[in-house]
Amino acid sequence: MVGIRLEGVTKKYRGGVLAVRDVDLTVEPGEFMVLVGPSGCGKSTLLRMIAGLEEVSEGKVFIGDKDVTEELPQQRDVAMVFQSYALYPRMTVRRNMAFGLRMRRTPKADRERRVKEVADVLGLEHLLERRPGALSGGQRQRVAMGRAIVREPQAFLMDEPLSNLDAKLRVSMRSQLSLLHQRLNTTTVYVTHDQVEAMTLGRRVAVLRDGVLQQCDTPQTLFHKPVNLFVAAFIGSPSMNFVRATVAGGEVTFGDVRLPIQRDLGERPVILGVRPTGLTPANGNGWPTLEVRPEIIEELGDERFVIFELDAPRVDTEATRAAVDAQTADDALLLPEDRARFTVRLSADQPVSVGEPLTLAINPERLYFFDPESGAAL
Amino acid sequence: MRAVLKTGRYLALFLLVCFFLMPVYALLVTALKDPASVSVVRMWELPSTFSLENFRIVWPDLQEGFVNSALLAVPASLISAMLGAANGFVLSKWRFPGADFAFPLILFGMFIPYQAILIPMYRTMQSANLVGGLDGLIIVHVIYGLPITTLIFRSYFTGLSDEVIEAAKVDGAGMLRTFFYVALPIAPPAFAVALIWQFTSAWNDFLFGVLLTSREFWPITVALNNIAGGQTVPFNQAMASALLASLPTLLVYVLLGRFFMRGLMAGALKG
Amino acid sequence: MRRTSSKARRRLRAWGPGLLLVSPSLILLGIFVYGFLGWNVRVSFTSWRGQTPVYDWVGTRNYSELFDNERFQIDVRNLAVFTFVFIGGSLLLGFLMAMLLEKGVRFEAFFRSVFLFPMAISFIATAIIWRWLLNNGSGESTAGLNKLFENIGLGFLFSDWHKTPSSWAIAAIALPAGWALSGYVMALFLAGLRAVPEELKEAARVDGAPERKVFWHVVRPMLLPVLMSAVVILAHISMKTFDLFYAIDQGNLRIDTPALYMWFTTFQPGFFARGATIATLLLFGIAAVIVPYIWWSVRTERRK
Repeated sequence: MVGIRLEGVTKKYRGGVLAVRDVDLTVEPGEFMVLVGPSGCGKSTLLRMIAGLEEVSEGKVFIGDKDVTEELPQQRDVAMVFQSYALYPRMTVRRNMAFGLRMRRTPKADRERRVKEVADVLGLEHLLERRPGALSGGQRQRVAMGRAIVREPQAFLMDEPLSNLDAKLRVSMRSQLSLLHQRLNTTTVYVTHDQVEAMTLGRRVAVLRDGVLQQCDTPQTLFHKPVNLFVAAFIGSPSMNFVRATVAGGEVTFGDVRLPIQRDLGERPVILGVRPTGLTPANGNGWPTLEVRPEIIEELGDERFVIFELDAPRVDTEATRAAVDAQTADDALLLPEDRARFTVRLSADQPVSVGEPLTLAINPERLYFFDPESGAAL
Repeated sequence: MRAVLKTGRYLALFLLVCFFLMPVYALLVTALKDPASVSVVRMWELPSTFSLENFRIVWPDLQEGFVNSALLAVPASLISAMLGAANGFVLSKWRFPGADFAFPLILFGMFIPYQAILIPMYRTMQSANLVGGLDGLIIVHVIYGLPITTLIFRSYFTGLSDEVIEAAKVDGAGMLRTFFYVALPIAPPAFAVALIWQFTSAWNDFLFGVLLTSREFWPITVALNNIAGGQTVPFNQAMASALLASLPTLLVYVLLGRFFMRGLMAGALKG
Repeated sequence: MRRTSSKARRRLRAWGPGLLLVSPSLILLGIFVYGFLGWNVRVSFTSWRGQTPVYDWVGTRNYSELFDNERFQIDVRNLAVFTFVFIGGSLLLGFLMAMLLEKGVRFEAFFRSVFLFPMAISFIATAIIWRWLLNNGSGESTAGLNKLFENIGLGFLFSDWHKTPSSWAIAAIALPAGWALSGYVMALFLAGLRAVPEELKEAARVDGAPERKVFWHVVRPMLLPVLMSAVVILAHISMKTFDLFYAIDQGNLRIDTPALYMWFTTFQPGFFARGATIATLLLFGIAAVIVPYIWWSVRTERRK
């Protein structure tokens, strides 16, 4: 079991485009590390640089203690699972799985034994003589995994391997992946654009934006202590609510709402963030309250999302747009909007109806403050 | 209204078929007539008696040409197909700097008028002592066939996903092993197209054949022109020899026309 | 310093093998195509006439003499006439056949095979067959197509074909050439017509457009690239064609072309310099259409 270390890794394309900027990252031996971010953030490029499929412009890549920066993929001992599975089209499942071992001149008996073992674990034993064309999406995905596992490499690199599966299958495969990792304990770097997947699978998650590493922490830390507006907006579903506000004299003000705060932030404009779970029905435990009129109620069975408007301007910054993969201000909207909208997650027991006033209490410990210019957490 | 259009369409198609097959009719009807009853004026009349005499007369003169063309077309198409496969693979999936620049340069070779290389080629072949026999001709066909075979394979391999090549790399395969284990196994259809196209092209060539071979090694087209090209030859023999000479490529066309079509489209740079 | 050299080594290891594999082809083509083309151009600037090569320099004398040469002038005119009739006829016929087959008829495969089969036979065989079809005997010795016309009551279509004294004689050769090549044009147009997404046509129909307008506004603009391809391919074949003319009626000046003249002047009297000059002109004529075509094809492919 070895770790992976990236030091100052940068990827520059011709024309000056920087896909990855000066990333420092360490993956501990046996760790399951997820790289997550919106499309174009450089996560796949970073993964491919670890594999050797992309040249490293600056910086170093270490697998274990070995500097592999200038080594070709053939020479590194990593296995990759591709989003499209990339199974060899004219080879049977058996030969697909055995290919890497053949290339490394593993003796035939060993090859066959290992292929059989892995096929049994993944439930592929009855498919060994089939060709990829005769397999379902889920089966192909398992063969792609099997091909990687059989190699017993120093690390697994996975590039959105579940993205091509449909939703329910994706969810069940996620837990299978976790179980597999527990069994094999191989260092894994996993790329996804889906933050739910990232949070559920990763022991640590590295959030990337525009080639820059934003934060690399456990899912809990990312959720509760985001270092900037982007991470706060990206992690969590539904995403955090934001509103522009001013802090002065121990209070934060937006619209005609005044809330006392516990930290001393001086006097300044801020962006205030509160998660949908940071607001609850008024419960008389001394929390500041807010009176709102629900506009939209989304029923989900045993909970509901209640959406209401605030008399304060909508927060629309590059960071918040990037978090939802929007390119321009109106990409995420069907109709123009200029006022902030909040989403609250309430239990289905709570009586609400559209237009009827509702009193919500805000948990003062669950308020987040960000600098409006830099997006940094305060 | 629709019925009128429909019959109109089939009528037009029928007339077109007549136009295209009319020479074939003339050819067959003349070739199968008894030599005595052949006259140009009565070209369109069906034979009163069927006879294979014309074929028997011309065959001895064509026989050598057949053998020569076979000895030419088979190796030439095999070799240029194999080279084309390697080239097509590298140009599409294992690129080197300048590959995208090299490709149009290769393509141009497919379109040049052979007149523009005829003199240098002839002098070179003479100096290398390759004029007269089939060796020089085979070499020439292989070389000038490289652009089209490269094109055919390159288009075909473009359909192979880049990720499969990357998977092979990560699995430890270098260029040659990726070529043999991943690319070639999917290449048979492209081979069919390249082989058929090159075979037809080599069989039907005249210019290089007449320039580079001596009588004993004449390919079929040159032999055909020699027999039937003169104005004074009996026209039934001319027709019979034209028919015989065209049989192999026609047979390939009838049986494997699908691949022939693909070669056509590739040649127009239309994938 | 050590950094850049290890990067360079890595790159070489990455693409070196590929380059090595194609280098024989690249070298061979470099010599046999570009080397020879250059050599040929060089010869066109010499006074080489006879079996021993002469590599002097006579400037553009060969070219000016060629342009003054009466036979060459006839050739150029012939080529122009031929190209015009051949391309025009093949385009029309090919397009017609494609339109007839586009919507799918019964036995489509049969029709397509019939229209394309002439491409499988050599131009020599084509020439031999058509020489007899284009026979211009008259009266008692009417034969060939003329006889056929007579037989089916279209005797007024009688023609001297390529033996006619007019300067349009060569247009008769466009008949076998078109017979051989319209199938190709048809194949191109058929592919082009079928590549028009059905959804675009459906959207137009749902918007109320009658079929002919659907064709004019939706289909036709998308056929422009196909038309261009067809014209370029036919034009370059027209300039290159040698076998057909050689075998159909070599000595006939009325169907002489630059390609034929090049052959005869080079290998019969041995006037290599002139042959090279004609060949160079042919090269430039073809390059003028082919180079933009290749450049445009490669560019559109890259954009995809």
